[in-house]
Amino acid sequence: MSCAQHSRESDRRSPDHPGWPGRRGVLAGLAGVVSLPLLAACSSDDPLAAQAGNADGKNYIAGDGSVLEIAPAERGEPVRFRSTLFSGEPVSTEDLAGDPAVLNFWYAACAPCRVEAPDLQALHEQFAPEGVRFLGINVRDTIATAQAFERNFGITYPSVEDRGGEVLLAMTDYVPPQAVPTTIVLDRQGRVSARILGIAEPSTLRTLITTVLDEQA
Amino acid sequence: MSQQDNVRVARDEAAQANTPPPPESPAPDGGSPRGRQDVELPALGVWGTLRFAWTQLTSMRTALMLLLLLAVAAVPGSLFPQRPAGPGIVQNYIDDNPVLGEWLDRFQMFDVYSSVWFSAIYLLLFVSLIGCVAPRAVKHAKALRSAPPRTPRRLSRLPEYGRVVLESSGPAPVEAVEQAAKYLRKRGYRTEVRQEPDGGASVGAERGYVREVGNIVFHLSLIGVLVFMATGSLLSYRGQKILVEGEGFANTLIAYDAFTPGSAFSEEMLTPFSMTLKRFEYVYDRQSPTHYGQPLDYTAVLDVQDGPGDTAREVELKVNHPLDFQGTRVYLVGNGYAPVVTVRDGNGDIALQGPVVARVQDNVFTSLMTIKAPDARPDQLGFVGFFLPAAYTGEDGVAVSIDPAPLNPELNLNSYYGDLGLDEGDPQNVYVLDTENLTELNSRNLEAGGITLKPGESYELPEGKGSISFDGLKRYVGLDILYDPGKWGVGFFAVLALVALGVSLFVRRRRAWVRGTTGPDGSTMVEYGLLARGEDFGLREENLTLRRQFEKLWPVQAPEDIESTEGPIVVAGAAQNRVE
Repeated sequence: MSCAQHSRESDRRSPDHPGWPGRRGVLAGLAGVVSLPLLAACSSDDPLAAQAGNADGKNYIAGDGSVLEIAPAERGEPVRFRSTLFSGEPVSTEDLAGDPAVLNFWYAACAPCRVEAPDLQALHEQFAPEGVRFLGINVRDTIATAQAFERNFGITYPSVEDRGGEVLLAMTDYVPPQAVPTTIVLDRQGRVSARILGIAEPSTLRTLITTVLDEQA
Repeated sequence: MSQQDNVRVARDEAAQANTPPPPESPAPDGGSPRGRQDVELPALGVWGTLRFAWTQLTSMRTALMLLLLLAVAAVPGSLFPQRPAGPGIVQNYIDDNPVLGEWLDRFQMFDVYSSVWFSAIYLLLFVSLIGCVAPRAVKHAKALRSAPPRTPRRLSRLPEYGRVVLESSGPAPVEAVEQAAKYLRKRGYRTEVRQEPDGGASVGAERGYVREVGNIVFHLSLIGVLVFMATGSLLSYRGQKILVEGEGFANTLIAYDAFTPGSAFSEEMLTPFSMTLKRFEYVYDRQSPTHYGQPLDYTAVLDVQDGPGDTAREVELKVNHPLDFQGTRVYLVGNGYAPVVTVRDGNGDIALQGPVVARVQDNVFTSLMTIKAPDARPDQLGFVGFFLPAAYTGEDGVAVSIDPAPLNPELNLNSYYGDLGLDEGDPQNVYVLDTENLTELNSRNLEAGGITLKPGESYELPEGKGSISFDGLKRYVGLDILYDPGKWGVGFFAVLALVALGVSLFVRRRRAWVRGTTGPDGSTMVEYGLLARGEDFGLREENLTLRRQFEKLWPVQAPEDIESTEGPIVVAGAAQNRVE
């Protein structure tokens, strides 16, 4: 949405109509046809557009911390993908079924990933007894680099290697990750129940996990 | 265009005449009240003011002024660095000129073509265009359905005029006029035969309506181009991705290195496809002595998946031959080397392993290397330096690259330890090592010297900080991923505009009248006249063609004058050309 700041509200739209812009979007579109480049001036409010015209060379699309939460009735199909863990073991979403899961898209040299890593590990330790599964999805690193990261931050949950983008491609069918890091919460049926773009605030993520934990399987 | 000017000027005058005359002030000519200070200015009211502004905006004068202004406003775009072309250069400019740069930025001088003021000019220009073209289109639509104009009483006053007197064996006036009308229709005229009061007949004919159609279509096409450019700019996106051999890319925001969305972009617009770079092939010129080492061909061999669950297929991507995924185009725009390195930390653990993208600096692929190992312990390690594909060390001890091919790959690095600054969560340029909180370990100025590595070699850092090894070499490609749904519309209307412009320039609009009367001696006399709308250098030729045809159709009496038998007489100095 051109000028509309990404807010919780604007992100809380039904996943059944992912391509359907809100009323605001339609208005913005109509206005844009007439006065399109004028919008360029105000589009700096859009965190994605703001990253476009600068020269920071950070080489990833940063998130703004926006949260998308989907009510149980509006959730899409259960997420399905299969990949390989850094340990070499195959992993698929069927292994996660039955319990809530947290998917975290990361890589070692991404600064916000380094900030949220200790929080994720703490939440992993907190919720592991209740069956919540954490799975890292590394989008850039080789195994050695990823392991150095995990060693430093004491990460005990597994990560899959996704340099080829297979998991990312599979996720485009559901709620696509849009920034590094992106954290996705799956409910007990494997459906996407929440997505955080950017650094996951531990309190926010805890609430999101508790929500799906409290739902009946 | 002269016709258009006339129309606009006429509209102008009409508009000025239409402005409500002030109740108190006389202003009988309805002309401009300017320059008469003692006269009270008319009260236009809101509606009147709006109408006045509209007629001013749609006047030719304003349109020309806006066009000129547009040209002038485009100048800063070539004086100052522009963000869309290179955000880095803009940043450097602002850093170099802190005060001026900030003010220029405030006035959007670094993004001229999407700035508010530039947009205002061309939007006004197009509003002016629409305001001019729309009434003209309506007017012409009416003209298309109306009959050709009435036959003037005295055809001899027209710029081109001719008269033939028929022998007594020739047809009657009415019949002759009907035959003439038939011929004119064959020549593309629209005709209407009318009975004259004195028993004769005349035909009014006009051709070249398509000229005005071309003119209007041209202007409408310009509007079409704008609309589609606007749509494109709203819905388009553009992203960049560097892909090392063996690595993949899925078209999700997370996978991009840089991304520029259109104003109405939403993440659902990303076509889901993925690709993996299998290998990169290159051909350098080895024949030419003057262009030795110039690139001749680059080919990226990719495994491509058109969507989730689709089977992979192998495709070749070449420069200027983009891949197309349902309108999303992938261009090969760059390539370079990614040396594979392993960095071990002070504890002996691997802190970083894999290909590191080196930024190409020149045409012999001298490349800048920046390696950050944030997971090295006890201290984070950083390296900066050069990768040289074909290293040659001169007498001064400085190594340079002499060829783009990997003939003698070499890494020349300085090393640092300390805090890389990544752990605070602030984004950082991956190609720049911020050495503020770092301590230099290796450089040419230090006793330890710089690090020079050939493939397969490794180097122990001083003070037991770790080691680095150069394990191998991979190529990478730079991809530009573009989606612009408005592109085809822009292309269509641009071509349409050119065609319509051609039509409006080359089609002649002219009118012809033929009148048949019974002469004093009882013979049939056929008069005809031609009138061009706008300039028409072929009008004379048309006169002669008509006369030749008439002589073929009917038994024409030989003119009495001897000179005139040899051809048409041009009446010098007069705007009339007579053929008798």
